[in-house]
Formats: sequence, structure tokens, C-alpha cells
Amino acid sequence: MGTTASQLGKDMLSEYQHCVLIHDICFSAHKRFAELLTREEKDLPNIRVSMERILTLPELKSNPFRKRICHVFSTSEQKDGSLTFEDFLDLLSAFSDSATLEIKSHYAFRIFDFDDDGTLDCGDLEKLVNCLTGETDDTRLTTEEMRQLINNVSSLRQSDIDKDGTVNLSEFQHVISRSPDFVR
Amino acid sequence: MEELDTVNLVRVMSDDSIHSSLSSDSCEYYQTEIFDQLPSVQACRLEQNRQSLLEASEANQDGPEPRENISHGHLSRGPKDKASTRPLRNLVMCIQGKRNARDRRKMQISNIGFWDSWRRSQSIYMKRVMAQMGGALKGLLPWQQTLRTINGRFGVGVKAYFVFLRYLVFLNLLHCALISGFILGPTAFYGSSAHLKFGANDSVLDFFLGTGYLDRSPVFFGFYTRGSLNLPCLNTPLLYLAGIFTILFLSLIMVVRRTVVGYKHTWILGKQYSVNVSYKIFCGWDFSIQDRASATLKRSFIRNDLKLFLEEQSFSLREAQRTLPQKVRLYLLRFIFNLIVLSLLGGAFYLIYFATKTSQNMSASEHHWMVSLVLQYLPPITITFVNLFLPHMFRKISSFEDYSFTTQVNATLLRSIFLKLASLGIYLFFVFDQTKNQPCRENIFGREMYKLSNFNFLATLCNAFLFSYPRKLLQEKYPSSLLAHLSGKQHFLIPFNVLDLVYSQTVSWVGVYYCPLLPLIGTVTLMATFYIKKFTVLRCCVAEQRMLRGSSSSVLFHFMLLLGLIMAAVTLGVNFWIPNTNTFSCGPFGNGGSLFNVTGECVARLPSSAQTTLRYLSSEAFALPLILTEVIILTSYVSRGRANQKAIERLKDMLVLSSSDKRFLVKQHATMLRRQKNTGRVRGAAIKEDNPRNNSTVPPSTRTN
Repeated sequence: MGTTASQLGKDMLSEYQHCVLIHDICFSAHKRFAELLTREEKDLPNIRVSMERILTLPELKSNPFRKRICHVFSTSEQKDGSLTFEDFLDLLSAFSDSATLEIKSHYAFRIFDFDDDGTLDCGDLEKLVNCLTGETDDTRLTTEEMRQLINNVSSLRQSDIDKDGTVNLSEFQHVISRSPDFVR
Repeated sequence: MEELDTVNLVRVMSDDSIHSSLSSDSCEYYQTEIFDQLPSVQACRLEQNRQSLLEASEANQDGPEPRENISHGHLSRGPKDKASTRPLRNLVMCIQGKRNARDRRKMQISNIGFWDSWRRSQSIYMKRVMAQMGGALKGLLPWQQTLRTINGRFGVGVKAYFVFLRYLVFLNLLHCALISGFILGPTAFYGSSAHLKFGANDSVLDFFLGTGYLDRSPVFFGFYTRGSLNLPCLNTPLLYLAGIFTILFLSLIMVVRRTVVGYKHTWILGKQYSVNVSYKIFCGWDFSIQDRASATLKRSFIRNDLKLFLEEQSFSLREAQRTLPQKVRLYLLRFIFNLIVLSLLGGAFYLIYFATKTSQNMSASEHHWMVSLVLQYLPPITITFVNLFLPHMFRKISSFEDYSFTTQVNATLLRSIFLKLASLGIYLFFVFDQTKNQPCRENIFGREMYKLSNFNFLATLCNAFLFSYPRKLLQEKYPSSLLAHLSGKQHFLIPFNVLDLVYSQTVSWVGVYYCPLLPLIGTVTLMATFYIKKFTVLRCCVAEQRMLRGSSSSVLFHFMLLLGLIMAAVTLGVNFWIPNTNTFSCGPFGNGGSLFNVTGECVARLPSSAQTTLRYLSSEAFALPLILTEVIILTSYVSRGRANQKAIERLKDMLVLSSSDKRFLVKQHATMLRRQKNTGRVRGAAIKEDNPRNNSTVPPSTRTN
């Protein structure tokens, strides 16, 4: 557990490799993470980086789901979306090319599950679509369009196999596993 | 006793929920305690309440014997038991969870024998090595970074174009290797290279025309005469044929494979209308997007895409509600437009015919070199211009026809590909017809192909640097001028660009027999095209509002490529079947030899058993068993497909059942808990009575299975 953030021990590195990713990504990940820290913080073990600072990463800056991403990968008890280095590695490995479909779809589901209730209901879908199209009034779909769309996605159609009006993880994975574009 | 029942319930549920990990619905279920004990939820929420889980597992471990078993299974069910040799990094857990899993695994490993543990570690090691090798090989693929940039700024569709381009480069490289192995190598060792000199009356112009010096060089068919390598079954003509056939055959396999793989996806995509829109939402965001501008762009793209989908849906609704007179008017309109398209095509073909004739007749007479160059290049120029302008006209025409957007794109594509291939075919036919009695017909034919592919590349080059770039510069320098306003923003039209690629590849395939160095030329020009197109895209174009989806479009690309390949094969077949009447033949089949002579000669030298086998293989007697075998294989595949379809349906049913089971159980548990709370410990006995009934009603899924 106890890594100081300034250097990455060899044993930790090999452990991370087993668990997460290939060698060179660990190093670059650690470098990226260290850049987010101030000088004093670098020597503390298990330091948490607040969500605001994580969001300054260029990769996340323009992502509409950036806050959700931080919340999903955060292990913080206060649910403030702050990340430790290990959470950060988790995040990177889930988004890396080598991640499996299962991992990707799992985290995608959790990112899209805005109210954390383990299912994508109408509210989640609406938020999701709003995130995708843009949140301002002129970019948003009209209420009528939204209704038609959500009807298409959730109710009594293919993606909702058990016909309960919401999309759960296995249904989600079922839909996504057929998408050739999802795992690129 | 009461506790034991609860645990039983948990186990039943954990068995079910392996298949449908997380499927309870309305919020009331999540407030019950049992929900947190579901293995799927534990796998999912491990990171959030790591502490509580640890406590739970400790609590489970010091329970009584039978319970420990259960709780162990219950705890480690989830992803871990599916395959304990699965790499840790593929588990859906946070690092702490993976650490725990690894410790558990280590404990397990210490229990198993030496041999097993050695084998397991070996397999893990091998997997790791393979993964690293795969990663290294992936890193070797060229242009990865460029592709990523393009993907980020222009979306999957444009990236699909570049991936397709790269694929063609690889294909051509493979062709080059085959050509050098089968044709160039033997000729270099055994052939005569006497007349490979730059003569007095050769000029640089020859490199453009494919005459003079090039005519005698290894670029064309005529160079590959029968050398000193002259065994009955190992001679230049046979090697030449083998090389060409291998190229065509390998291309066929590769293209068919790509088409089929893509087709499977599109078939699934097209079949289920609403899954399609689920993708658009669930897989809509491209997480590799970095800069703000492209994020805005992507948003507007997704918005347009969704609106487009809704529009199409209401379009199909509207279409269903059309009245009869409206329908008649529409069909009349479409008929007229189709007539226009046909007449345009006819005009284009006549133009090509005219150009070919003029070029063939006039090139003999003396002209200024510039004029003769233009005359020589007249057919390629005509073809390229026709192919440049007509598709855009088709695009305009199809927008009037009141089709849905997708049909519009497809109709344009279909007409354009027909135009491209048919114009090429007609051109080939004219050239074939007119060179029938000329000496070394193959060389003339090869020359035409050489000119076509050269001009194609020149057109790409000119289009980029004389048209797109100045247009962009104009817009940048004088953004308010009328001209800039008129020309509008430039988009990268993927279908038309892909058509160009398909066309040039078709030319290369058609010409490879007559001009064996075409793949080499193709490789070089394609690589150059990559950089030119990259420049065009990144420097001159703005991203489209409506983009094609990567996967569905790539099927179309490969399908068109397949059409081109078929055309090449047909051309070659025609060439072989038309008897070679003239006496001035050249190349490998120099002195009256033909495909049939050469192979016949070889077959005659084979041992008698091989001869009879070959004769049997080529006779009608073999056709029947062949057809029968094919029928059997096809039948087995079809029935397997049907069985899979049934299995999928059954799995879906099971998913429904298990999730309803779980909801039922959760409801039961919740009522149980509530009753327990209400009545307290005094009425505990009543619950005990309830439980057996619960358990008997529990497994509806097992009953139906």
C-alpha cells in the first residue's frame, strides 16, 4: 500500500504490472500523477488528489462525463471524487487499449448510472443524452424528441430484454458487446 | 436456524445472479440489506465500501463449517471463479480488490500440486509474453499516432478511410513480395538483361507514357521472356502465371474475410433498428477526444445523428402514410431522375469511347511533344474527370428524390461505383478491341493501366495542392470575399475518397498481369496518397456535421473492393480465353505459347498417377462430389447458426427469468425483514414456517430450465 508519490518502488511497479497494465504505462502514469501534486504532497504516502485537480488533465477537460469518471473510480469515503495513485491507475487501465470489453462495459455502465442505483432508468438516460448533446438549452433535444428517443432505447425494445423499462448491467453489456466500435 | 435460511437464500441468488449480475430495478430494492450482499453488487461496489466488505468476509470466515463453505463460494463467486487463471488485470475490480484476489489465488495455489502450479505459472508466463509481443507488434504498425489525431478531430468515419488506405498499402506490399519472389527474382537470375539500356531516342517523357525505354524495362509484360530457366515444370511463364494467380487468390481471400467480418456486424446492426440507437447513446462518446473544439463538434455530431435517427423514424412513418397520387408523383419523379442518371452514364461512356478512339488514332501522327502527351493521356483524363464530376451530380440528384438520408448516401455510392467500374470496363473493352492485331498487345494494355494509375495519383496530387489548399488559403486570407463565401467549407467526403482508392486498386489488379510492377507503383503512390490526404484533412478540411459510422461504412468499402477484384479476374479470364491470333506476341508466352500450352506441357511430364488425379479433378465427375460436399458443409453451418440463434433466445429468456427471480426474492426478503422488525423476536416462529414455502417458490428458473 505505502507508496510515497515521489518515486515508484520496483516491487510496487511489478505488482501494478500484474494487476493493471503494461510496464511503460505504469511509469508514465506515475509521472502524470506526480505532476498533479504539489512539492510537499509528493513525499506523503497514499496522497489523494482532489477532483478539481484531476479534471485539469487535458484528457478529461472536455469530456462531458469527467465528474462521473472521477466518482466512479474514486475510493474515497467522502464520495468527493478524489483519486489516489491506485485509483488513477485503475482509471487509466480501464481506458487503455488493452482493457477487455467486460471491464470497459462495466465501467461505462457505472459512469452512465448517474444516480448509482445499479440500473439505467429514464432519468439516467435523459442525463446521459443531455451530456452527449450538450447541456445548454439550444443544444438540448426537445422534450418530444427526448421522449421518442428514450422510448426507443428503453421501453419494450431490444436493449431492454427483461421488459422492465430500465436497462441493467447485463442488458447493457449485451447491447454493447455487439458494437464493433466500442472496443477499438 | 433463521440465519442459515438467509444464507441459503443468498446462495440461491448468487447462483442466479452470476448470469445477470445486476438487475434489480426500482429503488426500493436497493434499500434492503440483501442487495448489498449480492455477489455482483459486491464486485461492483468493492471500491466504495472496501472496509465493510473486509469485515463481512472476516465475519463469514469464523462461522460454522457448512456456512463457511457457502460464504466462501458466495464471496469469491463473481468474476474470480469464472477462470482463476484469468489475468488479474482483466478483472473488474480496483487495485485493492485485485490484491485481495491475488492473495486468495496464492492461497489456492499453495493447495494444489507442484505440477499444477508449475503449469499454471507457465501458462501465465506465456500469456504475458504473448501479450507483450502483441503490444510490440501493434507498436510496429505505422501511422498509429496520425490515425489517433485524425480520429480525435474527424471521427471514426474518416479514420476508417485511413485505416482502409493503410490496409491497401499492406496488400500492395504483399503483392510486391509475391511479384519479386515469383517473377522478378527468377528473371533477374536467369533472364536476359541485354536491352536494359537507356537508348538514344528515349526521353524522360517515356516515363510518363510508358513507351520507349519503359517498354523494354521490367515494368511491362514483354520483358519477361523465357530465360535459361526452362524446365518443363519450372519456367518463366509458369512462374509468372503462378505469381499472378497467387496475388489474385490471396487478395480474394483477404478481401472476402474483411467483408464477411464487417458484414456480420452490419447485419446485426441493420437487423435491430433500436439497438442501433442504443449504440448511438451508449457508445456515442469518443473518450479519446481531447480538445474543446472537437468535443463541441462531437456533441453536435451526436445531436445531429440522434436527430437524424428520429427524423428517419418519422420519415418512415410519413412514408407509410403517403396517399396514392403522392406516391405516383414520387415514383414518376424518381423514374425521370433515374433516366437522367442513365443518360449521364451513357454520355460518360460515349465520351470515354471517343477519347480512346481519338487517342489511338492520333498518337501515330507527329505532334508537338506536349500535344502528344495530352493525347496519350486523353482517356485517363476523361475517365478521371468523369469520375470526378458525375458522383457529385449524383449526390445532388439523389437529394431531390425524397429518399431518407441513408438511402441517399447509398444510392449515390451505388451509382458512383457503377460509374467507376463500368467506365473502366468500357475503356478496357475499347483498348482490347483496338489493340487486337497490334504487336505485343499485352504491353500496350499494360501501358494504358500504367497511365491510368499514374494519372489517378496525379489527380489526387493536383486536387490537394491546386484545389483544396488554395481554396483553404483563400478562405483564411479573405474570409469575407465573395469567392470564399461561395466555395464554402471543405468537407472530407469519405465515400468519394474511398471510391478513388477502390478504383486505383482495381486498376492495379487489372493491370498486374500486363505490368507486374504496378503493385510497387501502387505501394509508393498509396503511401504518398496517405500523406497528401493527411495534409488535406488536417490542413484544409473541417469535420462533417453528419459522419458515417466506421464499422458500417468499412463493409461497403470492402465490398466495393471485392467488386473491383471480380472485375480484374474477369478481365484476366477474357484475356486468356480470347485466342491469341497475332504472330507478334511477346513476353513469357513469346513463341506461340499460351496458358494452356504451358500448363499442359507441365502436366504431361508429371507421373501418371498425378496426371490421372489432375484429370479427374478437372472432369465433370469431380463436380458432383464437390457440390455435394459443399451442400453438406453449408447445411451444417446453417443449422449451427439456427441452433445458436435458439440458444441466444433461450439465454435471453433465462436472463429475464433470473432477473425476475431475483426481484421476487428481494421482495420476499424485504417483506420478511419488515415483518421481523414489526413483530420482533416473539413471532420468529411464524417466519420459520414461512421460509419453507419461500424456498419452494424460489426456483422458477430451475423449473423452467
